[in-house]
Amino acid sequence: MKTKKDQYVVIHPLDDVLETKVDTEALGPMAMTRSVRFSLLSLRAYLILMVLMVVYHVVMLAR
Amino acid sequence: MTNKTLIMPAGMPAAASAGVETEARPVRGRVVKSKWTRDLLTFLMVFGPGLIVMVADNDAGAVSTYSQAGAQYGTHLLWIVLLLLPVCYFIQEMVVRLGIATGKGHAAMIYQRFGKWWGLFSLVDLQLVNFLTLVTEFAAINLALSKMGVDPRYGVPLAAACLVMLVLTGSYRRWERIVVFLCLLDFAWFWIAFRLGPPIGQIVKHALVPSRPAGGITADLMFLVIAIVGTTIAPWQLFFQQSCIADKRLRFADLKWARLDTFLGACVTVTAAVCMMIAGAASLTHGFRFTDPAQMAADIGTFGGPLMRHLILLMMINAAVLGTTAISLSSAWAYGEVRGWPHSLQLPWREARGFYSLYLLCVGAAAGIVLIPRAPLQLIILGVQVLAGVILPSAIIFLQLLLNDKELLGEYANKPWNNWVNWTIIAVLFILSLILAAQVTAPNLFSTT
Repeated sequence: MKTKKDQYVVIHPLDDVLETKVDTEALGPMAMTRSVRFSLLSLRAYLILMVLMVVYHVVMLAR
Repeated sequence: MTNKTLIMPAGMPAAASAGVETEARPVRGRVVKSKWTRDLLTFLMVFGPGLIVMVADNDAGAVSTYSQAGAQYGTHLLWIVLLLLPVCYFIQEMVVRLGIATGKGHAAMIYQRFGKWWGLFSLVDLQLVNFLTLVTEFAAINLALSKMGVDPRYGVPLAAACLVMLVLTGSYRRWERIVVFLCLLDFAWFWIAFRLGPPIGQIVKHALVPSRPAGGITADLMFLVIAIVGTTIAPWQLFFQQSCIADKRLRFADLKWARLDTFLGACVTVTAAVCMMIAGAASLTHGFRFTDPAQMAADIGTFGGPLMRHLILLMMINAAVLGTTAISLSSAWAYGEVRGWPHSLQLPWREARGFYSLYLLCVGAAAGIVLIPRAPLQLIILGVQVLAGVILPSAIIFLQLLLNDKELLGEYANKPWNNWVNWTIIAVLFILSLILAAQVTAPNLFSTT
C-alpha cells in the first residue's frame, strides 16, 4: 500500500482486513464432465489395487 | 525503514475465516521509505508456510530414506533428489494459488467441488497415511533418544508434550516463528556433510549425470527409488500448505512472495537431502552396514567424533519434531475444515476444542504406539514412504482437476504449460507406482541383490 511519495505501509496478512475470496460454497459441486468422471473412477480402482499390493509387499518383507 | 507502526481503521468488516467469525478491527501496518525495504519486509511477513512445508518434508522417514540411499549406493542416487526439486516446487506452487484464491484448505475444496464421497475418501486416505507417518516420527525420536542414552519412556512423552504446547499458544505467528527457527536448524546438515570431507567431483558428477549403481537395477534399488520419491513429495504437504496459507490469510498480492517462499524452501530441503545422502555415503566408505539412521550416527561418530554423532541424532529428533507438528496440523486442519469446526492456530483452546483435540490425539496415540517394545521400526519407516508414494498420484489428480477449474480459480487456473508439466509429473508417479506393483506381483522381474 502506498501512502505518500516515498512512503509505503507494509501490513502483515494477519493484521490486514480480510480479502474477498472466491465464494466456493455458492459454486456448488464441480461439473462432472465425462473426463472428470473418468479420472475419478480410474483413481478409485487404482487406489484400491495399490493399497492392497503395498500392504502385501510390506507384510512379505516383514516375514 | 522507520520504526513506526501505523494503525488505520478497518476498510471492510471481516468475514468468516477458518470457521470462526472475527470482528472488524483496525489495521496495523509498518511504514517504510523504499520499495526495496517494502518488498523485503513484505516477503518476511509472508515467508513461512513454504519453508515449513518443505523442511518438514525432510522428516524422520526422509532422514532414514536418504541416509539409507547414501549408505547402500553412495552418491549414485543424487540426481534423483535434484530432479525432485522442480517437481516439489511445481506441485506446491499449485497449492499456493489454490489457497490464496479460495482462502480455504484442500480438504474443504475437495468436499465442496467433488462431493461428500470423494471428500471422505481423501480425508480417510490422508488421516491413515498421516497417522502411520506420525508413528515413524516418534519411532525416530525413540531411536535417537536411546542412542543418546536418554530413556525413551520419559523422552518420548516429553517430546509429545512439547509438541502439544507448541500449538496451544493461541497465536499463529508464535507457532510459525518457533517452527521457522527449528527449520533453520536444518542447516546443521550442511556442516555435517562438509565436515565429512565428501568427494566433491564425484558428488557433482552423480548429481548431474544419472548413473547406475554397482549391481545394476535390483528390486531393492527400485523400492528405494520409490521411497525417495514418496518421501520427497508427500500427500500431507498439499493439505498442510493450503490450510497454512488460509490460516495465515495470505492475500492475492502475496502470491509472488509465497511462490518465492516455496521455491527457497524446496532448495533448502533438497540441499539438506543431498547432505543426508552424503552422510550415508561416508558411513559406506568406512565400511559400515546401514541398519537405521541412529546406528549410522553412532558409526559416523567412530571416525567423525562424538560431536558429529550427537549432532546427527539431534537432527533426527528435530526432523521428527518438524514432521510431527506439520503432519498433525494437516490432519487437524483437514478434519476441522470438513466438520466445520473452528480450526485456526489463532484461536485459544476453549474456542477450538475439536481442532486441538484431534492434534492432541494424533500426537498422543503415535507416541504411545512406539513405546510398545520390539516394533520393526525401520521397516515401518520405509513402508510408509512407499505407501505415501503410491497414494500421492491420487492427491495430485484432485489438485490438477481443481487447478483446471476455471469457475473456481479464474485467472489463477493452470496455464497450458502448467498442465504439461503436471501431467508429466503425474505420469512419472504412476509409472513408479506401476513398477512397484510389478515388483509385488512378479518379484523376479528385477534381479535381486
